Amino acid sequence: MNRRDFMRIMGVTSGATFLSSCGLERPAEKLIPYLVPPEDGIVPGQAVYVKTTCMECPAHCGISAKVRESMPVKLEGLSAHPINEGGLCMRGQASLERLYHPERVKSPLLRDSEGNFKHITWDRAYDMILEALKASVQRPIGSPGGKPGRKNLYLSGRTTGTLSRLIDEFCKELDIERLPEFDFYSYAAIREAYRILFDKPEVPSYKIDRADFMLTIGADILETFVSPVSHAAQFSRAKRTGHFSWFHVEPHVTLTGLQADERFSIVPGSEAYLLAYLLKHCSARTDKFKQRMIDLMPEIGVEAAAEKSAISQAHLERIAQRLSHAKNPLVIAGGVATQQEGGLEIAFLAGLLQWQMGMAGRTIDFAGSTDYDAVGTFKDLLSLSERLEKDEVSVLFVSNTDPLSSCPESYKLRDNLRKAALTVGITDLLTETMQECNLILPLSHSLESWGDTSPNKKLMTLLQPAIEPLFDTKSEGDMMLGIMRRGVRESRAVIYQQYIFESWARDHGGAAVEAFLQNGFLEKRIGVRVLKSRPSLSTVESFLKRLHLPEPKSGPTLVISPSIRSYDGRSSVLPMLNEVPDPLTTISYGQWVSISEADARELELKDRDEVRINLDGWSVELPVKIQPGLRRSVMVVQQGSARWHLQVDERSGEAISRINGVSFEKTGRTVQIPILSGSTSQEGRGVIPRPGEVHHPREEGGRSIYPEPDYPEYRWAMAIDLDLCIGCAACAVACHIENNVPLVGKEEHLKGREMSWLRIEPYYEKQRILGKREHSHFLPMMCQQCDYAPCEPVCPVYATYHNPEGLNAQIYNRCVGTRYCSNNCPYKVRRFNWFDHDRPKPLDRMVNPDVSTRDRGVMEKCTFCVQRIRGAKDAAKDEGRKVRDGEVIPACAQSCPTQAIVFGNILDPNATVYKWAHSDRAYRTFDHLGTGPGVYYLSKGRTKHES
Amino acid sequence: MSPDGIRSSHSSTPGSGAPGSGSQVEVDVLAAMRKPGALYWFLLLVCGSLFMVGMALWAYQMTRGMGVAGITHPVGWGVYITNFVFWVGIAHSGTLISAVLFLFRAGFRRSFNRSAEAMTVFAVMTAGLFPLIHLGRSWYFFWLFPYPTQRLLWTNFKSPLMWDVFAVSTYFTVSAVFFFIGMVPDLAIVKRFSSGVRKWFYSALSLGWKGSQVQWKHYNQLYMFLASFATPLVVSVHSVVSWDFAMSIVPGWHTTIFAPYFVAGAIFSGTAMVITLVVPMRRILKLERYITIDHFESIAKILLFTSLIVTYAYIVEYGLAFYSGSVYEIGIFKYRTFGHYRFYYYGMLLFNALVPMTLFVRSLRRNLPYLFILSILVNIGMYLERFVIIVSSLAKEYSPYAWGTYKPTMVEVGITLGSFGFFFTMFLLFTKLLPVLSVTEIKEESH
Repeated sequence: MNRRDFMRIMGVTSGATFLSSCGLERPAEKLIPYLVPPEDGIVPGQAVYVKTTCMECPAHCGISAKVRESMPVKLEGLSAHPINEGGLCMRGQASLERLYHPERVKSPLLRDSEGNFKHITWDRAYDMILEALKASVQRPIGSPGGKPGRKNLYLSGRTTGTLSRLIDEFCKELDIERLPEFDFYSYAAIREAYRILFDKPEVPSYKIDRADFMLTIGADILETFVSPVSHAAQFSRAKRTGHFSWFHVEPHVTLTGLQADERFSIVPGSEAYLLAYLLKHCSARTDKFKQRMIDLMPEIGVEAAAEKSAISQAHLERIAQRLSHAKNPLVIAGGVATQQEGGLEIAFLAGLLQWQMGMAGRTIDFAGSTDYDAVGTFKDLLSLSERLEKDEVSVLFVSNTDPLSSCPESYKLRDNLRKAALTVGITDLLTETMQECNLILPLSHSLESWGDTSPNKKLMTLLQPAIEPLFDTKSEGDMMLGIMRRGVRESRAVIYQQYIFESWARDHGGAAVEAFLQNGFLEKRIGVRVLKSRPSLSTVESFLKRLHLPEPKSGPTLVISPSIRSYDGRSSVLPMLNEVPDPLTTISYGQWVSISEADARELELKDRDEVRINLDGWSVELPVKIQPGLRRSVMVVQQGSARWHLQVDERSGEAISRINGVSFEKTGRTVQIPILSGSTSQEGRGVIPRPGEVHHPREEGGRSIYPEPDYPEYRWAMAIDLDLCIGCAACAVACHIENNVPLVGKEEHLKGREMSWLRIEPYYEKQRILGKREHSHFLPMMCQQCDYAPCEPVCPVYATYHNPEGLNAQIYNRCVGTRYCSNNCPYKVRRFNWFDHDRPKPLDRMVNPDVSTRDRGVMEKCTFCVQRIRGAKDAAKDEGRKVRDGEVIPACAQSCPTQAIVFGNILDPNATVYKWAHSDRAYRTFDHLGTGPGVYYLSKGRTKHES
Repeated sequence: MSPDGIRSSHSSTPGSGAPGSGSQVEVDVLAAMRKPGALYWFLLLVCGSLFMVGMALWAYQMTRGMGVAGITHPVGWGVYITNFVFWVGIAHSGTLISAVLFLFRAGFRRSFNRSAEAMTVFAVMTAGLFPLIHLGRSWYFFWLFPYPTQRLLWTNFKSPLMWDVFAVSTYFTVSAVFFFIGMVPDLAIVKRFSSGVRKWFYSALSLGWKGSQVQWKHYNQLYMFLASFATPLVVSVHSVVSWDFAMSIVPGWHTTIFAPYFVAGAIFSGTAMVITLVVPMRRILKLERYITIDHFESIAKILLFTSLIVTYAYIVEYGLAFYSGSVYEIGIFKYRTFGHYRFYYYGMLLFNALVPMTLFVRSLRRNLPYLFILSILVNIGMYLERFVIIVSSLAKEYSPYAWGTYKPTMVEVGITLGSFGFFFTMFLLFTKLLPVLSVTEIKEESH
């Protein structure tokens, strides 16, 4: 055979093999196209960004969803968005996992007689609902012969905007009664207080950036309270002005509290005394009316206030002095302070103080108040349960809310839910409540649906799909329209998309809609809603006359604190938020109770020892975590991490988060919970220098026998301002998602094998420095990209090497896994793949195609998001220029709500990172080891802003 | 093969070139190579099974991932690297006894040198397994060798691990050659007394040794050369092994005394291992006439001497940490003394520093059961020493956030036992396949 024949035969045979292997043996997988294709076509390898809104919590931050090859792979804060200004919290980052959640409801489900759910079609589901609705009119209540016409009810989570209007329309059309919405954090006490004061049951917006002094009482403004990312962004801007100070008062310890300039620990339940004292001493007595108000106040002297609150007189006077001298003060009472018995009084006194000091309209904005108008309270939940019990309910819709997970047992809601003829659950996941429903309508993720929301009364934000529904799911609007079209009449809109576009055009006009779609949000021009010039004297008087300041109770108190990771518990279904530890305690998986150091000493408890908490015959057993800074006999658990013995304030309907009269005892057992931090103390190692004591290292040079690194064009560097960092760990979650960092689960965490490339290291110090008693630091720690990286020379195969731009590049394919680099890293930021980490379907689609996933046996680490650097360099090369400052934003810096992280080329003296790195406050961790890190930290103790 | 394999030397005809035929030495040594008894087979079965189990566990570790071992973050090295250092250490006294003592003309070495050399070779082989076992991707072990590739990949000669590759492979090669060359005249004797396949086997191994004057001359030159060549390796190999640690910046590792400290430790542990092996071997193979109490006393003196060096190093380490003023160094030594691994540390002090002090007493140096038990204690103590150095230093490094502890898993324990299985399997095979004493040298001595 000659060469040509050989080639011919080989060509034919291999071609035939190839063709036959393309046959129909494998069913063609459905390709998921873009619902809205990008204008200039889809270019493989190029990301498309879709502007939409984060629906994980009621704050509704603007997000930009990065879509690669038709899959959303990352959510980023939408820059220039009026709420979050570009940042995004850890819950927002992780909410992408809701889209790809392995346990998502994939089609309508019907519970059969055995209680198992089975798949049905949408038509069948709609017919069932319509039949049940029809039947409800005919079936009598209770026993035969009762009066006909049972009620159909609609209970939803907090909804705003067009959807809320469509639900109203739907309910009207089908004769359904719409119940007050349910949201665990309903701010009921705050709204009730403002109702009494100003006849406005609203949650105002807080303008931290306009304040020069802020006093927060119990409100965890940077974690869950109203709009945390917005607060963080404003806090950052306020702090940069240099004329902003913040005092925080709380009975327990929160991440928020630790960020304040001064934090005062108060006896739980005594906040009213502080407020009463402040009202007496800070209020302007400019007119008779204000004078009269103050006269009505009970006489609380500084001694009395100090005695009740356990804040020293000197401190109380300082708070009062700072408050009265502030030009633009801001007082926020909320969180656990208003979620307690007497919370209404606290909210009321705070509201009065706000009004007395003229904050309303300046630092407190009622015109742009957060839309909680339709949100009810636990009282409404109780009434629902009672109506269910009386058998008055035929069809109950439960949409996108999970009251059962938090509802008090005494409401018997679980049993009563079964009494409705049909409960229709509209949900994405089978939550506790949904498991009790008869019929489940699967809800599309917000990234799969059109819509709008109204985070506050001035703002409308856009929800637009980034992907076609992954499963047989529909948006709530489409469900409403579908049921209406099938049952009653031809609605004017066939699909919800059409409905909202028509609705927008009608309300705002075509041009505004264009801008809305362009920007992702629309600031509504609404008339300025002026507060009533003053509260009605008679109501205030009657309230103050009845005002009885509750006596703070002694004895152990359990505080149920909102969780930065799970909000009210709803976000704990997202795997990522279990993997990334709670920043305060560094506990990742599981539940715990935080106790004070004093209590731990007394009961001889160590971390992980189990205690039993008893209250009126109810008890729970939990491992303890000793929390520095916590006051004696206060214990803290997190809302949503377990079922607590929930109580409800009967006046406001607010859930009570401070439980007195608990007792706790040691069980003698220990529970393995992953506490990721090896020590909460710096152990004298100076990881973070004392405020104002930045130690500048010796002159560089002569460090190595090897040649100095030479950076011809770029030396990538990062600077992190610890004064702005609030320890919220948004960066950690962003990093996880951007870099396909695997989730390894509790067992591996217990062995210390977490994989996070970026972590928040909390340190608590006790020494008195600059007059401050306690110091806490939150240090974001990632690969420091050292000039003289200890990891580099020890790798026998050059799997890690120093690239010409200063990065410690890690070549996964070359790594043989000696782990020497990790041993030799003083920062311990390298992560080894102990196993292959599977991603359960369809989470396997949530991978960033720009970053390779790593196999078992390979070391991995932060590379300053080298894929983003690469992208920017490619773009710069196409345009024949150098990369501009700010063009590369690593995932951590992008996500940071306070913009505490800057990144860039430190060789460029005009770059922000250069300026930050040359600040007086700049230092590098373990610099004395001669590693020459590329990450600069700016220590606390800001006097004025540098950049 | 004949049922006996080795013919009785009484019936043999004088071999060519052998000085004296059918001498008592030959009888005794070759008797040891006779068909093994039930105890031998039983021991071989146990050791062989252990080795197989170890290999199976390694296969499991490769398919599942390193996570089945207990190593973690921040303790990236654990029992595997401990084993590596331990076995390299064991290897050392083999060379010391055969080569260094040869150069010093220490006569008592003749009783031990063959088994010590065999121990060296097998221990290096065992040691060499562990760098492979501890690799995250063992199947790419060859990337550690500098070989030309199309992709222009090269190895990093700055890395102590790279030096290790060369140090250990050089050491293995030299030890194996030295072991083999020293055995050639003896193999010729064995050949004389064997038949069948064994005859063919030993004649191939004996490289046509005739015992001629010229051969002896060349042999002696080569043996002297190899002994001189192997001697510095005793120092270099374990120095390089110690640099795996000392070249890092890990507090507790990064210290200049590591090289002499490790070399002394290696000789210490190796000498102990020689005693552990030779005491039962002498008894089982009935070699009391050749390996005398005097010989044991001499080796016990080496043990005592190296123990004192090691003890000195322990003290110096604390001194270094104290005078460094470094919070990290001081932290590590406090942790070593009072932390999680303190009992291992106390064990190490007891077995390596305190118990060997008893060897100042002459009667104890000459008490074989005592020496045997002591040698085992020293082996344990030296194992603990390596474990403490490796693990406790990594557990509490610079960043307090990343502190953690390490606990070996059953996989690590199994693979470790497997390595002992491998070593003893090899040694058992050696006792039956090769002459366990240097016949020619003993004859030389008696003449």
